[in-house]
Amino acid sequence: MKPREEMIAVGETKVPVLIGGSGRPLLVLHGAGGNRGWRRWMDVVAERHTIYAPTHPGFGRSDSADWMESIEDLARFYLWFMDVAGLGKTALLGHSIGGWTAAEMATMRPESIERLVLVAPTGLKPEQGEILDIFYYPPEELLKYTVHDPATIPEWAELYGKKPMPEELDIAVRNREMTARLTWKPYMFNPRLPHFLPRATMPALIVWGREDRIVPVICGEQYRRLLPKATLSVLDRCGHQPPIEQPEAFARIVLDFLGRA
Amino acid sequence: MKLYYFSEMPHHEYPDAEGDKYPSLRLAFPNTFFSPDIAHKNYQRYLDEYQLADEVGFDGLMINEHHSTPSCVNVSANMTTGILGRITKQAKLLILGNILPIQDNPVQVAEQVAMADLISGGRVLSGFVRGVGVESWWANTNPVHNRERFEECHDLIIKCWTAPGPFRWEGRHYHFRHVNPWCLPLQKPHPPIWVPGTASPETAVWAGRMGYTYVPFLVSFEVARELFDFYRQGAAEAGRIVTEDKLGFLICAVTADTKAKALEAGRHFVWRMGPTLRGPVEFFSPVGMRSRAANQFALKARSVSLSKMSYEELVDNYYIVAGTPDEVVDRFARVREELGIGHLLLEAQESRMDHATTTRSIELMGKSVLPATAKM
Repeated sequence: MKPREEMIAVGETKVPVLIGGSGRPLLVLHGAGGNRGWRRWMDVVAERHTIYAPTHPGFGRSDSADWMESIEDLARFYLWFMDVAGLGKTALLGHSIGGWTAAEMATMRPESIERLVLVAPTGLKPEQGEILDIFYYPPEELLKYTVHDPATIPEWAELYGKKPMPEELDIAVRNREMTARLTWKPYMFNPRLPHFLPRATMPALIVWGREDRIVPVICGEQYRRLLPKATLSVLDRCGHQPPIEQPEAFARIVLDFLGRA
Repeated sequence: MKLYYFSEMPHHEYPDAEGDKYPSLRLAFPNTFFSPDIAHKNYQRYLDEYQLADEVGFDGLMINEHHSTPSCVNVSANMTTGILGRITKQAKLLILGNILPIQDNPVQVAEQVAMADLISGGRVLSGFVRGVGVESWWANTNPVHNRERFEECHDLIIKCWTAPGPFRWEGRHYHFRHVNPWCLPLQKPHPPIWVPGTASPETAVWAGRMGYTYVPFLVSFEVARELFDFYRQGAAEAGRIVTEDKLGFLICAVTADTKAKALEAGRHFVWRMGPTLRGPVEFFSPVGMRSRAANQFALKARSVSLSKMSYEELVDNYYIVAGTPDEVVDRFARVREELGIGHLLLEAQESRMDHATTTRSIELMGKSVLPATAKM
């Protein structure tokens, strides 16, 4: 399937959005690594849903948004985005900091989120362990921590096998800077979020890799406890990137959840 | 040309092999190797050495601040300056400097510098720095905001010193509803401002625009001249004339009774060129702290890392000056000739350079070097 790209302006900020598939809308929010384009798991899910995959402000080729200070700002941006894009009541899926953003959105306007999928989201302070400080490590070392086993990842060569072009390196720096802008302190969590999560009463699916070395799996348990209608699915032999580490299994779990009555 | 004495107040009394086990001596080397007993003695010693430098006639004493590192346990430049303000008599007290971006309360910085200026009878030169990345980690201040916070913190401090209180400050990063410091500098309108530079062209331009004294640290003559050109560009934009009094330079220097002794002592500076700067780039320049222009300039300025240079190369290239007083005078004259500076800052004690060597160097500087540099 070949998605199309549209530039969508939300207030003063334009962001590129990959749109593909057919069916009820699914808004997909990427993690700190940026928008990795149209991935294998999306092909499967797009058979039953229209996927909207924007690039966050300040990431990739999106407009800058140096005024933003927190993931709550990004959540408010995407609620506005939903209005501008005319998504109506939508399913929402977010990975890592995109998952945190999705969780915030679900607490702010629960009536607009039909179903919520959180994939290894940051946002909560782990009851045990710590969220890895991603800014403390060189990017090449960090990449190793994000997955369980590169050898098992079908899209690894396509995503990380080539030496990055200068433009891609610039984008990587940009992505890291914007992530720092949004998550620096408190690092990767919002102490107020647990108090609001019970408001998010839509059905929710939490997906985690059992070998996640970035965000401890215990955070998945915490989200499951705080969200009134949540189930937690933990994938074995999987790290922090379930969508690319196990694309088929991941797509099946997501489709199964979204398709439920 | 004015000469300044500077010690980083190192705490190098641990086995080097232990430090080598960690990715960096900064942030990562456990403070279980910090010895309060040794530090107690070291602080007395380092303050005595500063006091001696004042007595022998150094024009200024430079004081700095770092955190989470054995290379510098002077963790409060303002506290040290307050002490020196009381125990020294004549030297300027150059704080170089307060690390502005990591401050959460610029009003308190304004008060502390003012207090040191009052205690010292108006001898403070107030340097402002952006800090190395380690300081941003130490304070957990978002490095993405480093330059914005530097400038806003500076603006608020200057306003504290120059505008009558009470006033309100609602900026991007700082918010104070009742600013009214009851401690103002003796010097009017405020102590002279100094700014160091290692790689950032933006800082050089900014310092030039503001008319502040600008001091490149441990760079080649060629890079220093480029930074001074950026400084002059900023000065020209603001219609300012650049005099040598606005330009300084920092190097490491030690003298002794014989050349052999001086060269032996000078080897202690190698520690600060290599081991104490070892570590991932993320520690020293975390995400967003430097602009792309600064990153590119840094790559050029440090095309050969100081840590890769031999002691002899460091000496040949004027990063370290070590010799008899006469030789040191010649070397300083060359630095002045190359750069046209009015201030030469000497990192004059480092690593495990002992008290006897340090004090002898200070005495000889006072006796034979300072009289010569005063005429330069």
